[in-house]
Amino acid sequence: MIEGKTTISNQMGLHARPAAQLVKLAATFSSKIFLDNGSGDVNGKSIMGVLTLAAECGSDISVKADGTDAEKAVQAIIDLIDSGFGEVAGEA
Amino acid sequence: MTTVADLLESLGDTLQLEVMTEDLSLDREITVPEITSPGLVLAGFVERFVSKRLHALGETEMAYLENLSARERTKSLDTFLSYDLPCVFVTKDQPIPEELFSVARKRKVPVLRSSLSTSQFYRLITPYLREAFSPATKVHGSLADVYGVGLLFVGRSGIGKSECVLDLVERGHRLVADDLVNVTRRGSGVLIGKSEEVTSRFMEIRGVGLVDVSALFGVRAFRQQKRIEVVVELADWDDARDVDRTGLNTKTRDILGVEVPEVVIPLIPGKNITVVSEVVALNHLLKYSGVDSAQNLNDRLVRQMAEKRDLKKYLSEDYE
Repeated sequence: MIEGKTTISNQMGLHARPAAQLVKLAATFSSKIFLDNGSGDVNGKSIMGVLTLAAECGSDISVKADGTDAEKAVQAIIDLIDSGFGEVAGEA
Repeated sequence: MTTVADLLESLGDTLQLEVMTEDLSLDREITVPEITSPGLVLAGFVERFVSKRLHALGETEMAYLENLSARERTKSLDTFLSYDLPCVFVTKDQPIPEELFSVARKRKVPVLRSSLSTSQFYRLITPYLREAFSPATKVHGSLADVYGVGLLFVGRSGIGKSECVLDLVERGHRLVADDLVNVTRRGSGVLIGKSEEVTSRFMEIRGVGLVDVSALFGVRAFRQQKRIEVVVELADWDDARDVDRTGLNTKTRDILGVEVPEVVIPLIPGKNITVVSEVVALNHLLKYSGVDSAQNLNDRLVRQMAEKRDLKKYLSEDYE
C-alpha cells in the first residue's frame, strides 16, 4: 500500500466536477485506490464515495493505492488535486 | 420530390379534391411548401408574383374573373398560367369558366377543385406541405417511447439495441421503430421519428428472428411516431472512454441541425440497461420539470463544504 498526503487547494473544494475528474483518473489505474480525509477510507473510483468526503478547500487528504501501478496512481492523483482541477477561482 | 399526384394521393380526400382536367398529367413537381392566391396577378400586375408556390383561386379571384369579358378573361388567365405553375386549385366548388379550361390545356397546368372554403383549404394543406418539405434523414438505431420520452438507442450492430427495446416493451413501454428510424425535423427544434412502413411493428431479435411486437404484446406496445428527446448510445465497456460520471455536463448529438441530449451507457455483461434507460427517461422528465438531480447534489455539497470551511476559520480564530 502506497500512501501520499496533500491538501485540497481549489477554492470550491472537492465538489462534483473535480470529483468526476478524480474518479475518471483513478479508473485508469488497475490498483485499488482509496481517499481519506479523517473519517475513513472511501473508494477513489466511486463518484458517490468521493463526494461523501465533502473535502473543502484547505482540508488534508491522504491518497492510498494498492496494486502494481500504485505509486504512479498516488502521484497522478496528488498532481491532479494540487493542480486545483483547472478551476478558475470563484467558479462552481 | 413531391408532385401534384403525390399531393392528390395523400390529401385528395381531406381536401375534397376533384381533378377537373382529366387529360393533363399530374406529374408536376411542387417545389416550395407554400400556398397563396394570385390576387392582383389576374389584373396583370405580376411584379411581386411568386410563381413557384401553389395557387388557389378563391371567391375573390373567381368574382373578378367573372366580371371580365371573355377576351379579357383569357388574357388574364394566360398571363397567370404562363408561369409554369405546378397546378391551380379552385375552392368552394365554384364553377370553372371555359377560358380557364382552354388556357390550362394550352399551358398543360392541371386544374383541381375542392369543396372546402379557401381558408379551410389553406389550413388543411399547410401541414402536409410542411411535412413534405421538412428535412429528413434515416438513423441506424431503435426508437422507443419510455414514460412518454422518446429514447433513440444507437450503437454498433449487435450491441443489443433491439433487445433493450424489447425488454422495455415487455415492461410496458412502446416500440416506435427498430433498426432504422426515419427522422424528420419540424420547425427548428423538434425531431419526429417513425418506422419504415414495411417493417413497422416488427423487430429482429437475434436467435429468434423477426417478431411482430404488436401481435405479441398488443396494441399498447407500438406507437406510430414519437418525438426524439434523448439519444442513448450503448457502448462497449472501455475503461479509457470518457463517460459522464455526474450528469452535470450534458452532451448533445446533432441530428438535422437539432442538438439532442445524449447519454452514453457503457455495457458489461449482467448490466440491466432497461432500468438504466427508464432512469434516463425519468431524469429527462425531471430536468424539464425543473429538477436537476446532479446539480442539486452538487449545490448541497458546495454549501456543506463552505459551512465546514467557515466553521474551521471561526474556530481557528478562537484563542480562548
